[in-house]
Amino acid sequence: MTDVVAILANGFIYGSIYGLVAIGMTLIYGTLRILDMSQGSMVMAGSYVGWWALAEHGVNALVALVLAFIVTFILGTATELVSVQPLINRAKEVDLEMVTFITTFAVAILITNLALQHFGPFQKNVPVIVSGHVELVKGVTISYHELTMAGISIVLMGSLGLFLARTRWGLAVRAVAQDLDAARSMGVPVTRLYPLTMGLASALAGVGGVFLGGLYFASPTAGDQPLLFALIVVVLGGLGSLTGTIYAAYLVGLIQAFTEVRYGTTWTLTILYAAILAILLVRPYGLKGSPSEARL
Amino acid sequence: MSDLLLDVRGLRAGYDRAVVIHDLDLAVEPAKTAVVIGPNGHGKTTMLRAIAGLLQPWAGEVTLDGRRVDGEPAERIAGLGVVHVMQGDGLFAGMTVEENLLMGSFLGSSWRGRREALRRVYQALPLVEEKRAQKARTLSGGERRLVGLGRGMMRPARLMLIDEPSLGLAPVAIEAVYAALADLRKESEAAVLLIEENFTHVGGIADVVHVLEAGAIIRSGSYAELSTDETIVQTYLGALPEAGR
Repeated sequence: MTDVVAILANGFIYGSIYGLVAIGMTLIYGTLRILDMSQGSMVMAGSYVGWWALAEHGVNALVALVLAFIVTFILGTATELVSVQPLINRAKEVDLEMVTFITTFAVAILITNLALQHFGPFQKNVPVIVSGHVELVKGVTISYHELTMAGISIVLMGSLGLFLARTRWGLAVRAVAQDLDAARSMGVPVTRLYPLTMGLASALAGVGGVFLGGLYFASPTAGDQPLLFALIVVVLGGLGSLTGTIYAAYLVGLIQAFTEVRYGTTWTLTILYAAILAILLVRPYGLKGSPSEARL
Repeated sequence: MSDLLLDVRGLRAGYDRAVVIHDLDLAVEPAKTAVVIGPNGHGKTTMLRAIAGLLQPWAGEVTLDGRRVDGEPAERIAGLGVVHVMQGDGLFAGMTVEENLLMGSFLGSSWRGRREALRRVYQALPLVEEKRAQKARTLSGGERRLVGLGRGMMRPARLMLIDEPSLGLAPVAIEAVYAALADLRKESEAAVLLIEENFTHVGGIADVVHVLEAGAIIRSGSYAELSTDETIVQTYLGALPEAGR
């Protein structure tokens, strides 16, 4: 019983944060048909913003989150303008998906090394958003920080869904994903929409970074692990499918929690990858993807 | 300064290295309906796409209301009041009918009037209202075409470009589409440039008919003139059409 509660609680928390970090990648893949490899460095940048705001300046937690959102939004927009936009204009001559895989990765390495030079290699302690914890059953505690992280992740994912379903620009993002020419003839300014989409995706990862920083540390390589997990989740969910991404995030979270509780953390990655291998062999297009690739 | 709404001169366009249209001249007067007919593969859709800005013209001029627009991107040309009802229909397959219609009001000022526009479209096309919550990919060909037209009615247009509204439809669906077009004609001030493979259906709406063959306009005249011209009738109909619609 204790084990079941621990698995469910941790799976829920892991899944929520994986979903938040990965959903931006899905949003970008759905609209631009590229894998944004800079998503991890946005998590890292977010945790440094969290450290700077919370530890160095002692600001309110909400302010820190909003600040991380804004900084990584700008960073993501700039990343698109530098590493993707110039190639989109030449999409006829280049394999956009492959080249941007490398160019966005290059930006990620640049950001990582700037962080290394500016902040040094040592980990920075990021204060938790809310202190304290709650004991669910005897022997299973989760911190308020983790609960807040899961809660805000869900709220942000839900807001993204509402944005895409209900608002003028959200509809435009989906329209561009589904039929680029038709969207343009509706008057959608695609050259402005792409950078904003990538800014939004990065901002979600940035907010996730503040929470992950509180859970672990802020360090130049803090984005590596989240990037890896986001990639797993995005591929497992079916490239470009938002609901698939959310299912996959919780599935990965539950698998991870299960192995940690039952077999210890040393087994986590082994079992996780074995499971992913098995799932992808049976469903090569992921949980919700289709041969033609899902569109937002 | 001409009083033409659309003036196309010496237009040349194509794909990769293949020239599809060349030295194409075409004019559309304000509030008039011009129909271009011609065989498949002779450049009708290419012409519309070049005018709409979805395809960069290689040479020539496109003037809209006295303003050069060739080389401008499609979203800019749309902003100048050009509505393009695309071949097939260009619907967003994963979006509902209503979401598709709302995208028709994307541009600036028309977004504020979207509720009113929706009401007007639903009134004009009751079938579209019935399907409002359905995903576009689940519609029949005729329904999709009507939604495409309805979406084109969601913002005020100065020029509507309509690409083969009868393509691939059953006769009864074609009638529904052309009835909707005739209604649209009555209500809207917009000029229309419509293309079709032949002129079976266009008698009721065409103010002027052009024949496009091998990438250029080879004949122009009224529907009455062209539909009684023996060579043209032989080529496009194989028999004399019933007069008008």
